[in-house]
Amino acid sequence: MTRRAWVRLDNASNIFLAARSDADPKVFRISAELRHDVDPGLLQQALDTTYERYPLYHAVLRSGVFWHYLQDSDLRPLVSAEDQHTCAPLYQAGRRNLLFRVLHHRRRIVLEIFHALSDGTGALWFLTDLVTAYLRLRDPGQPSPAGSIEAATTPRHAGGRTETGGRAGHDAAETTHELTTDSFAHYFRRRRRRHRVDPPLVPELGSPTLPGGSSGQGGSGRQGGAGGPGRSSGTSGPTETAETAAGSGPGSADKSGTAPPTRPTARTPGRPSRPPRKRVHRVRGTRTPDSRTRVVELTMPAPAVLALARAEGASLTVYLTALFFESLRASSGGLGRARTVAASIPVNLRQFFPSTSARNFFATARVEHTYGEGPDDLGSVCRDLEGQFRPQATPESLERKLRRFIRFERSPLLRVVPRILKDAILRLINWGNNRGLTVAVSNLGRVVLPGAAEASVGRMLFHVSAVRPQFCAMSHAGLLTISFTSPFVETGHVREFARMLTAHGVEVTVAAARVTEEEIAEGER
Amino acid sequence: MRRCTGCAVDVEGDWARCPLCGEPLGGEAVRSPLPAVPLRFSRRRVLRALFLTSLAAILASFLAQLLFSRFSDLGALRSVWLGVVTLWLVVLMAVRKRRNVAKGTVYLVILVGLICTYWDYLTGWHEWSLTYAVPIVCGSSIIALMITVRLMSIEVGEHVVYSGLTAILGLAPILFLVLGWVQHPLPSAICGALGVVALVLLQLTWGAETRHELAKRLHL
Repeated sequence: MTRRAWVRLDNASNIFLAARSDADPKVFRISAELRHDVDPGLLQQALDTTYERYPLYHAVLRSGVFWHYLQDSDLRPLVSAEDQHTCAPLYQAGRRNLLFRVLHHRRRIVLEIFHALSDGTGALWFLTDLVTAYLRLRDPGQPSPAGSIEAATTPRHAGGRTETGGRAGHDAAETTHELTTDSFAHYFRRRRRRHRVDPPLVPELGSPTLPGGSSGQGGSGRQGGAGGPGRSSGTSGPTETAETAAGSGPGSADKSGTAPPTRPTARTPGRPSRPPRKRVHRVRGTRTPDSRTRVVELTMPAPAVLALARAEGASLTVYLTALFFESLRASSGGLGRARTVAASIPVNLRQFFPSTSARNFFATARVEHTYGEGPDDLGSVCRDLEGQFRPQATPESLERKLRRFIRFERSPLLRVVPRILKDAILRLINWGNNRGLTVAVSNLGRVVLPGAAEASVGRMLFHVSAVRPQFCAMSHAGLLTISFTSPFVETGHVREFARMLTAHGVEVTVAAARVTEEEIAEGER
Repeated sequence: MRRCTGCAVDVEGDWARCPLCGEPLGGEAVRSPLPAVPLRFSRRRVLRALFLTSLAAILASFLAQLLFSRFSDLGALRSVWLGVVTLWLVVLMAVRKRRNVAKGTVYLVILVGLICTYWDYLTGWHEWSLTYAVPIVCGSSIIALMITVRLMSIEVGEHVVYSGLTAILGLAPILFLVLGWVQHPLPSAICGALGVVALVLLQLTWGAETRHELAKRLHL
C-alpha cells in the first residue's frame, strides 16, 4: 500500500487560498515566445520529461482540519491549445486536479500556475526546463544545454532539504524540485543560532551558502558562463537585472502571504517611522463581463528603458513603479482626494536565502508616495520610492519580518484554530491589506536561457490575475515586456504609461487580450 | 503592424481601434499573440446562489415547524412538508459531496439522523427515531460504504477516515440502549455490533493507514 507524500502548505501560500475570488483566482502565467509555431506533440513529450523532475508539480491541494496540505498524485498533465481566457481558475475546492497547466498558442508556450503551488521564480525554472526540453526534441542536433561545468557543482542534499548555493550549481538532470521542502521553515523557524551570529547575517549568509553570491545579481547571466552557464535560473536571484534586487514572486500584495499579522510597513526597525497612514488611492472601474483578467502587454527594447532608469538614478523596478504611479495620476485626472499611491513589490528570498525549492519563497515590500506634498516629478518619486524600498529588501529586515510572521503562524493559539476560521481570518487580513494598496508591481528580472535555447526564444512574458491594477515585468533577448493586468476594462493607465515611454523615444509594441463583448465580436470577424 | 499615432505605439493583432486610447489604427494587421476567447459564464456562481437559498429555505422550514407544533396541529400536512424538505436537503448534500462518496455518506448519516430525531420530537416523541430510524441508517451506511469502497476501488487514504467515522457513528445506538431511550433493543443492538465489527476490521486491515491519514488531517 503506497502512502502518498504530503506537506503542509507553507507560510506564504495559505493566503492565496483565502484571497481567491472570481475576478482573481490567484493564477499567474509565464510565457515564452519561440521563433516558430509550437508543435503540440513535441511539447507534450517535453512536458512529460520535465514533469518527472518536478515532484512538486504532481501535487494536488487538499484540506485538513487545521491546514491545507499538498499531496502527491498520479495525475499526468496534458498540453492544450489556449482556449480559455488568461489565468482561468485552476483550483476548486474538493476537486483533485493539478495546480498548473501548459498551453500553446501560435508561437507561445504558456505556463499557468496556481500561486499556492509555486512563485514566479519556481515557475520560471519549470518553464525554462520545459522550453529547453522542447527545443532539444525539435532540434536534436543541438548540444545539450546542461554543460559539464554545471555538473561539477551539484547541490548538496541534506536530510531531505536541499542545501545549495541558489542554483548556481544546478544540473538540469539532477536537481529535482521536491514537494516537501519548505524554505520558510528551513530558514526562519527555530534555527536562530545559525543566523544569529555577530556580526550579523550578511557575511554568514553571503559566504558559505551563496557561492554565486555576487553573481546572484545577474553576473553569471550576463557573462553567460561564470556561475551557472546560461541557466536562467542559474543564480539565486534569477538573473535579476543587475541593479534591482526586487521582485521575483509574481506576487501582488495581498499575496504577500507572508503578510498576515502586521502591516509590512513602518515597523521594521531601521526605517524612519511614518506618520499615520494617509488615505490610499484605490482604482475603480468597470468589471470585465465574465470576470476575466484584462491583460495588456507592452514590449520594448530593454536597454532603452534601463538607460532611462539609470538617468534617474533608480533601479528598473523602482523606475517603472514611479512611472506607474505617474500614469495612474494622469489617467485618473489628479487622483481626487486620496492622493497617496501605494504599491506592493515582492522580493525573491532565494537571492539571500539560497533554496532550490520551487515552492513560494518571497516576501513583499510596500512603498508609497503622496502627491501634492512636495516635489512630484518622476526623479523625486523615484528617489522617494528607492529610499523606502532599499531598507526593506535587505536580508536582515526580511529575516526579521519573516521570523515574525512565522512566529505568528506557529503560535499555539492560532494553530488550533480550525482551517475554516483561519481562512476567514486571512480573508479579513487580506481585505485590510488591500485597502492600503493601490497597485502591485513585480519584476522577474533579466532571464538568460541555457545553451541553444537562448537564441531560439524571443521575448518572454509574465503576468498575474489581479484584484487591482498591476504590472509584471521580465526581460529576455533584449526585450523588456511589461504586462499590465487589471480586473477592470479600462486601460487609461496603460495608455499613459506607454505614452510616457514613447515620449522618451522608447519604441513600444502593444498586444492586448479581448475582453469586452464588442472587442471579442471584432476579433472573431 | 498596425500603428496608433496618438500613443505612438505599434499594435499586434487585428485591432480596428487602439486598445489603449480607442483611436482608429493605420497599417497592416499582424497575427495576435493572444487568442480571442469567447465570453464564458461560470455556473459556479449560479450553483452557489442556489445552494445558499436552498439551505436558507430548508432551515426556515424546519424552524417554522417548531412554531406550528406549538400553535396548531398540521396533521398529515406536516409529514408531507418535512418529507419534501428532507428530500431536498439530502439531494443537495449528495450533489455537493458527489466527488467523495465516503465523505458524502458520513454527511448523510448525520443529517438524516438529526432530522429523524427532530421529526420525532415535533410529532410528540414516540421514540421511533432512536429505536428504528437512526440505528437502521447508521447500520446500513456501514454496510453500504464497505461495499462501495470495494466496488469503486476508492483509494484507502480517501475513504479510511470516513469509513472509521461511519463505524463510530454506528456505536451511537449502543448509548441509546444503555440510557434506555429505545422501545425495542434489537435494531440498536444489531447496529452497535456492526459498528464494533467494522472498527475491528478497519483496525486489522487499515490501522496504519488510518493513523497516517489522521495524523495528516489533524496536523497542527
